Order: sequence, then C-alpha cells, then structure tokens
Amino acid sequence: MKDTLWAEWTKQRTLAVTGWLLVTVAVLTGVISAAAAAVAHCPATGCGQDPARVSLAGVAFGQAAVAILAVLAISGEYTTGMIRTTLAAMPRRITVLAAKAVIVAGLTLAAGAVGVLGSVLAGRLLLPGHGFTAAHGIAPLSLADGPVLRAAAGSVLYLMLIALLSLGLATAVREPAVAIGLVLALLFLFPIVAHVAVSQEWQRHLEQAGPMTAGLAIQATTRLHDLPIQPWAGLGVLTAWAAGALLAGALVLRLRDA
Amino acid sequence: MTTPGAPAVAPYQSPEPAGRDGFAQLVHAEWTKLRTVRGWLIGLFLVIVVTDLLGIFGGGFSNVACITGPGARPQTGAACTPQVPTGPGGEAVQDTYYLAGQALAGNGTLTARVTSLATEHGLPSGPQGQNITLQPGAVAWAKSGIIITASTRPGAAYAAVMVSQSHGVRMQHDYTGDTAGLTGAASAASPRWLRLTRAGDTVTGYDSADGVHWATVGTVRLPGLAATVRAGLFAAAPDWEQSTTNVGGGENGQGGPSLATATLDQVSASGGWTTGRWQGTAVGGPDLSQVGYQQAGGRFTVRGSGDIAPMVPGPGGREQTIEQHLIGVFAGLIVVIMVAVLFITVEYRRGLIRTTLTASPRRGRVLAAKAVVIGSVTFVAGLIAAVIAVIGGVAVVHSQFGYVYPVTGLTWVRVVAGSALLLAVAAVLAVAVGTILRRTAAAVTVGVVVLVLPYILGVAAILPGGAAQWVLRITPAAAFAIQQSIPAYPQVDNVYLPTTGYYPLAPWAGFAVLCGWTALAFGLAVVLIRRRDA
Amino acid sequence: MEATVEVGGLRKRFGPALALDGMTFVVQPGQVTGFVGPNGAGKSTTMRVILGLDAPDQGQALIGGRPYASLRHPLSHVGALLDAAALQPSRSARHHLLWLAHSQGLRARRVDEVIGLTGLASAATRKAGGYSLGMRQRLGIAAALLGDPPVLMLDEPFNGLDPEGIVWMRGFLRALAAEGRAVLVSSHLMSELQDAADHLVVVGRGKVVADTSVTDLIASASGDRVALRTEARSGAMTVLANAGATVAATGPDTLTVTGLPSQKIVTLLGESGVPFSEVSAHRATLEEAYMELTRDVTEFRGAEVAR
Repeated sequence: MKDTLWAEWTKQRTLAVTGWLLVTVAVLTGVISAAAAAVAHCPATGCGQDPARVSLAGVAFGQAAVAILAVLAISGEYTTGMIRTTLAAMPRRITVLAAKAVIVAGLTLAAGAVGVLGSVLAGRLLLPGHGFTAAHGIAPLSLADGPVLRAAAGSVLYLMLIALLSLGLATAVREPAVAIGLVLALLFLFPIVAHVAVSQEWQRHLEQAGPMTAGLAIQATTRLHDLPIQPWAGLGVLTAWAAGALLAGALVLRLRDA
Repeated sequence: MTTPGAPAVAPYQSPEPAGRDGFAQLVHAEWTKLRTVRGWLIGLFLVIVVTDLLGIFGGGFSNVACITGPGARPQTGAACTPQVPTGPGGEAVQDTYYLAGQALAGNGTLTARVTSLATEHGLPSGPQGQNITLQPGAVAWAKSGIIITASTRPGAAYAAVMVSQSHGVRMQHDYTGDTAGLTGAASAASPRWLRLTRAGDTVTGYDSADGVHWATVGTVRLPGLAATVRAGLFAAAPDWEQSTTNVGGGENGQGGPSLATATLDQVSASGGWTTGRWQGTAVGGPDLSQVGYQQAGGRFTVRGSGDIAPMVPGPGGREQTIEQHLIGVFAGLIVVIMVAVLFITVEYRRGLIRTTLTASPRRGRVLAAKAVVIGSVTFVAGLIAAVIAVIGGVAVVHSQFGYVYPVTGLTWVRVVAGSALLLAVAAVLAVAVGTILRRTAAAVTVGVVVLVLPYILGVAAILPGGAAQWVLRITPAAAFAIQQSIPAYPQVDNVYLPTTGYYPLAPWAGFAVLCGWTALAFGLAVVLIRRRDA
Repeated sequence: MEATVEVGGLRKRFGPALALDGMTFVVQPGQVTGFVGPNGAGKSTTMRVILGLDAPDQGQALIGGRPYASLRHPLSHVGALLDAAALQPSRSARHHLLWLAHSQGLRARRVDEVIGLTGLASAATRKAGGYSLGMRQRLGIAAALLGDPPVLMLDEPFNGLDPEGIVWMRGFLRALAAEGRAVLVSSHLMSELQDAADHLVVVGRGKVVADTSVTDLIASASGDRVALRTEARSGAMTVLANAGATVAATGPDTLTVTGLPSQKIVTLLGESGVPFSEVSAHRATLEEAYMELTRDVTEFRGAEVAR
C-alpha cells in the first residue's frame, strides 16, 4: 500500500493540472463566498439568512473543481490508456483505488481548508457591513463559535466527500465526460426536483436524500429545527453516497477488463 | 532540385470526378461523424428521456384534498380544480370587486371624486377559519374609482380609472394594462377627480386634483365592446400577506382577505349618459360579508374586496405554469453539454483532429460546421423533449384536477421552442468551450458550471435573492428566462424572484445573454483553432 | 495540377528545441520517395507543415505549387496517413471513411472502393477501436486513397505490420508510384524502404542531409572499394600501391583497395604473379549507407543514453 500510495502521489504531483485545480478549488470557494457576502443584506426586520451559510456559499462552486480533480484522477488514465501501465505495475486494483482515494481526499482537504478559511474571513469582514450586526442579533463570524466551527470544518469535509463520490463514479463509468456529467447531475437533481415537488413531504424527503442538499446542511448555524435534515446526519447521507460510489467503482475496477 | 535519375512518368490524373464543393459538404461530414457514434445518439435520446421524466413526473403525485368554502367538508377530485376566470387576452385573472353601477347605452362620460380610501386586513379565526375579524392595515394596491365593463361576469373586458392606496392614480384595462396618473393618495384635503369617457370602442381616462384642470391618463381600446355597458363606482383590495423572519427562530406568516372602504362624491354623468338607479354587485362573489355600498345624498361609500388584475404564480400556490414541466431541461442540458463537448474533444484525444483538418484545412469553417450540426440536432431533440414534457405534464396535472395557467399560443411556442433553442445554443457554447480547453472533463465542468449551476442556485433557493438575481442576469443561465410564461406585473404585489419562477431579465433578453457568451466563446475558439498547431 | 511536393526552407522551433532548420526538398511524381532520418529529425513535423496542420516559423510547403490551405478538396490532391491510431474507437471503419468522403463531396461508392483496395472489406463494419495496428494502418491508407490523389504522404506506414503486411505495403507503394503518383514515405528504419523507395531524402536535426536516388546513394557509400583475399598480402600491397591505389589491410589475408576498379586489380595481380583467392566489389547495404550519412546527426545515441 505504501508504494502504491507513493506512486499515486507522484502521479498526481507531476501533473500540472493538479496544481491548477487545487488553486481553482481554493480561489473559487473563497471568491464566490466573498461575492455572496458582498451582495447579502440583512434588514432590521430580521434577515432570515444564516450568516455562516451565506459566507460559505462558494463551496457549491468549489465542489465543481473538486469533482474535476477527482474524476481526472482515474478517467485521465482511461482516456490515455495509462491505466494498463498502472495496473501492470500495481496489479492489486482495489489498493490502487484506495491509494487514489487517499491522495485525492488529502489534496481536497488541503485546498478546501484554504478556500473555507478564506470564505470565513471574507464573511467576518464583509457581513457586518451588510446588516449582519449585533444590533440584529448576529455575532461576528468566528471559528471560536461552536456551530460556525462545525459549519466551516464540515464544509471542508463536504468537499472531501464530494471528491470521493466523484472518484467512485468515475471509476465505475471511466469516460470523463459521462463521469463529470453524472456527478454534477446527481448533485443538482435533488434540489431542483425538490423545488418543483408538489407535496411538502416529498420535497423534504428529496432534500434529505440528495447528496448536495443533505451534505450542505452541515453549513447551517441558525434555525436548525427547520432543516430537512440535521447537520451531521446530512453529512452522513453524503458519506453513504460517497461510500456507495466507491464501492461501485471498486466492483467495476475489479470485475471489468482494464 | 530535379533528380536526373527520376523516371519520366506522366503525373497521375485521377479519373474520379471532382466532388461538390462548399460548406454543405463540411456539414454533411460532421453529420456523418455524429450519427455514426452510437454513444452520442444514445446521449441525444437521453436528452429527451431525462427532460420528459423529470418534466412530467418530477412534481410527484399528490392526493388533492380541499375545502371549498368556510365550514364545508373537505372534498377531493374535480371539485378541487380551481375555478379561474380568463381575461380577454386569454390570461388567468382575478376579477373580484364591488361595483355600484348601472347599465349605460351608447357613448358618454362618467365623473367622480375620491375623497378617501381606507383599508383593513381580514384575519381568519375559528376552528376552520370561517370567522373573519377586521383590523386596520395597509394594502398598497387597494383601489377605488370608475369602471366601464362589458359585464359583471368575471373575466369581462373593462377599463377603469382609479386611485390606489400607495401607487397614485392609475388607468387600467383588461387586467394587464396599467398606466400611472397623478401621484399621491386621496384624502378629504387632497381629493382626486376621476373621469372616464366612452366613444365607441375607445375609453379615455382623465384625472384632476381640483375638478377644473384635467389631464389624460390614458386612452385604451376595448375591441367589440357592446353598445350597453355596466359602468359605475368600484372598490377592491387584494389579499394581504405578511411574513416576518426571526433570526434563529423560524418564520411567522399570516394573511387573508382585505377590505377597502372608499368614499366618492361629485358623481355625474354627461355626454349622452344620464345616471339612473345605482345597483350593487359583488363581482366574482363576496369573499367578505362586509362588502357593499351606501349612498347618502351625493356621497357614496363603496366597500370592496379582491382585485381586478392578472393572476400570477406566487410562492406556495398549487396552480402550475407550463414551464414547471420543463424543469427537466436542466438535466437534458447536462447531457447536451456532455455530447457537444465530446463531439470536439474526442478528436483531440487521439489526434483525429489532424485528419479532420487535413480533409478541411479551413478551420473556422470546420468549427462552424460542427456548430451547425450539433446545434440543429440538439434543437430537434430539445423540441421533441419540450413538446412532450409540456403536453404530457399538463395532461398529468389535469388528470389530478390541478390547474395550469393558460398562455397564448405565441407564448406557448416561445416557451417550448425557446427551451429547445436554449439547448441548441448551449450545445454550440459547449463545442466552443471544448475547442478552447481541449480537455473533456474540464470543458464539461465549465459548461455545467456556467449554464446549469447558476440556474440551480438561483431557482432552488440556495443563494439569497439578490445574488440569485445577479447570477441569472450575467451568466449564460440567464437564458432560462425564455421559459417564463407569466410576466411579472408591477400592479400585482408578489414575490418576483427566480425561486417563484420570475427571472430578472425579459425572456429574449435573457436568451440574448446566452447568445452573447456563445458568440464570444465561439470567436475565441475560432481564433485558437486557427492559431494553434493541430 | 502537378503532382509534386515542394518544401522550401522550413524552420520551426518548439520552445528551446529547433525542430526544423531549413528543411528543403522536392518530391517528384512517378516514384516512391523515402523520407528517412533518426527519431526526432523532423520528419513528422515536416509532414504536418505540408498538410497545414503546423505553421512553420519560416519557409513554405507547396502542393503542386499551392499552399495546402488553399486547396478546395485537399484529399483529392494529397492523401496522408499521419497516425493510424487517430480514430474514434466507437466508430466503424466504414463510417470513419464515410464522414471523410462527405467532407470532400465524395459518394459512399468511393468508400467501398478504397475498402476493397486495402483489403478491409471483411472488417469494415466493426468498430475501429478493436482493430489491430496492422488493420489500422490499412484503414489509414484507405483514408489517404479516398480522394484518389496524385500525391500520397505516409508517416511510418510499416509500423506494426507483420512481414506479410510489409511485403504488401511495398508492392502497394510501388504500384501507386507506377501510376504516376508522387509517394512520400517516412521511416526511421532504412531496411523497411529497401526495395520500396526509388529516391531518398535523408534528414537529421531538422534539415536535409542527402537528397539522392537509392542507386547513387548505395554507389557512393560503397565507393570504389574492392575487397581482396590473398595469401601474399605484402606482395599484393606493393603491386597495387605502385599502380596508384590506396591499400589497407583489414585482416591476416584480406585487403581493401581503393582507387582501382576490380578489373584492373585482377589484371595487375595476374601480371605480377601474386596469388589471390577472391576479388569482390564491396557493395554497401542501404542500411550502411544510411548509417554513414546520419552518424553525425543522430539525436539520441546509445552512448548518451547509457551515460
């Protein structure tokens, strides 16, 4: 496993695109979050907006770059045919997938942490200027605050789980275009279908089941009892999706000819 | 540099006739490329399948139960289908108000002075909300004035000039027409004089602050207006709604009917009309028992409830719009982006692009041919998908005794064909992005992030309202505005946000944003493919 | 239109590497021109420039006097095989040729003709992704022949062919040239071109090292050397040196003589009574001639790699 890990690390490290994508994850997350904080405003009548959620809005965009990174980690090898070299050198396929998962998860955690910290900082600096003030009952965003810390750390974990979900799906379908399309469709399908659902109950169930809708519940710090799913339970749902995708990927990798 | 040893052979001349020349050949070649890869055909078929599955069944099935009136037993089935009147333009309308009027034949003029307009909020109470208590409260679009209507049947053609509580004097007609006159509210100290003149099909509204100096507010045509009309004084007040959000503590919403009480005097008829006996009518049925009118000398007090305005989809309504059945277009869009990106990036993967450019060295034209082919094919697939989704979705709603907002034929075509156009132009954008990036995964992601993600974030209420409007204004996803079938009416208070189905840009303006981005990307792609070594 | 390819003064730089450094040659109709040189000598880049795929920094390449990009139906002027793997795996061979034909305004009938010509008929409807390298080469040739062009350019067409395929390819190229076409075939293995090429353009480090007919090249590489086997080595050396030849001992009983034709040597030795067992004109192989030429221009040598 150690050698495999080292090999996969070298592979990722020596691809120029990896660095660019990691920078994109961090920058996209931070910049979109800052933009969301800059356009948000909280009127005196009560704003109903969760300051943590507003200042972490960029995670929804950052996840797209995370998905590319994870999909390319495996699909890139299929388009070039390098997968055959990889599996000839390291015949234990599940170990290869596990090593890829560890590397991709680690890289995402690092880039995600930078992006999320930037987002929180932007929120802390920008939100008080837009009505999110103590006068309206909102304390400045601070990681010393339990729920805010949970939202920030949870967002980093969210990005990591999206990476694993993408890696698993990409291993199962191989073609990068299909893999990335599938990942994004899976993420976006639930919120949009929930939005048009006629019955409230059906809507709630969709939001509880969707990897993105459930996973992003980790960002909520206010009105927790109104959430379709509680923060950690939501992240649990996403974990189940990621585990399922990795399992499917592992099965296909194991059973199908390379 | 001729070599002396070279054999003297006559240069080869092909016996083949020269092929036809031109852009059509390139399009033919690209079409052959597209149709000979099974995965792409499956992808295009999938565009139809996902769009229609989500569009027709995405809303889910619901067991409808409704209470048709105060104190009534809950009912199911056809009884629950909302009875919505339709205006002269074919749109769904609200037509509930109180009229103190009379039949007037031929041409003539009616004048009145509004001296006050007060409003109250009705608060439902009791076990089934059958008791309504009134308490003072503002209703911005409460209105009272003079109306000429074809009949008191809801949905009839009309023209009216009125004073509103917060939006000054207005001239309105046929539900959608609205023109502003004098500003400010009416009061005893500062009354508003109103006048309506009928001449054939034409009705002109005037206002005045003193009854001496008159200004025209607007002139409207009511085609085919009968010789005898109902005309008189009216009052109406749209339902009120209020929601307050407490940080960390949930949302409190309340609402109900409203009551407007207007005082009018100086009522006179002229120019062929003479006033006779006034008759009170609760047009559209009374939704408050307090409506009615009183006449004391020359002074009229009219109490009315409801609104004379287009009905618009708002938050929480069970009524559906046709575009709600096009919700699956976003999923079809993801598939379209995948196929369109692959259409160009697979050529770069294995060097096939060199064969293509060897066969057709004019690179810009190759790209244009690709765009024409993928755009046309996507348009056809999208059109089939959209037609099935809308027709099928509406049929499902009707089978469940639901209500779908009616639209004109032109709007229907714009919404359905516009969705197909959106897919087609998005496919061209995806080809351009694929050419620029030459990497499949990156190009698909960029396509989805600029086209689908803003739509999801804006429409599914993930972003706050202001941000949602901005992303749907500047990103290519602005094109989804082409699906909006019911416009936002300034004379109707509503939540006009992407989450409730209202886009910040007009339909074709939003579509133009997508076209602009596509033109930009395509131009860049042409420059790059020309400049780069293949 | 004349069936020629004229390449004049091509220069192209990829970053620090000079890929083409004044590449100049002409491909004549009616013969197979071998385009040879070590790996990285600029053969593929030259072909890509001829086909308008890469833009040269300097110089130009003309097909029958016109730049490639100005050709109306380029495939009826030049047929090219650059990379046999440049296919979409999920498309059948016939469909691959079909779109190409449509791009030139050609009919499907022509597709079936070239399929027959290259012996692909039985496999034409299978997905090209499942083809062996040899079959892909044939498909590439079929694509090059589609427009029935007077000029053919094939980049390493022998790659991946089995011996039978190599024989087929040689015959095929000769037949095409015999019809009056100009055929340019690149290769980094001279032996592949033996018996196939009439003319050679030898390149190294981005420029032409030799532009000559195969006969001349072999003659020049062979020189006028004669191998002599004799018991009386010193006697023979004296006799021949006196006659003005340069003589070098190459073994205990072998000599190499330069400067005298073998006929004269036999006469001289016979007159002087020097015994000898064998006199033969030394004939270089194409391979040797090529090695001789490219000794100085090989990009990567064994020694450098080993270092």
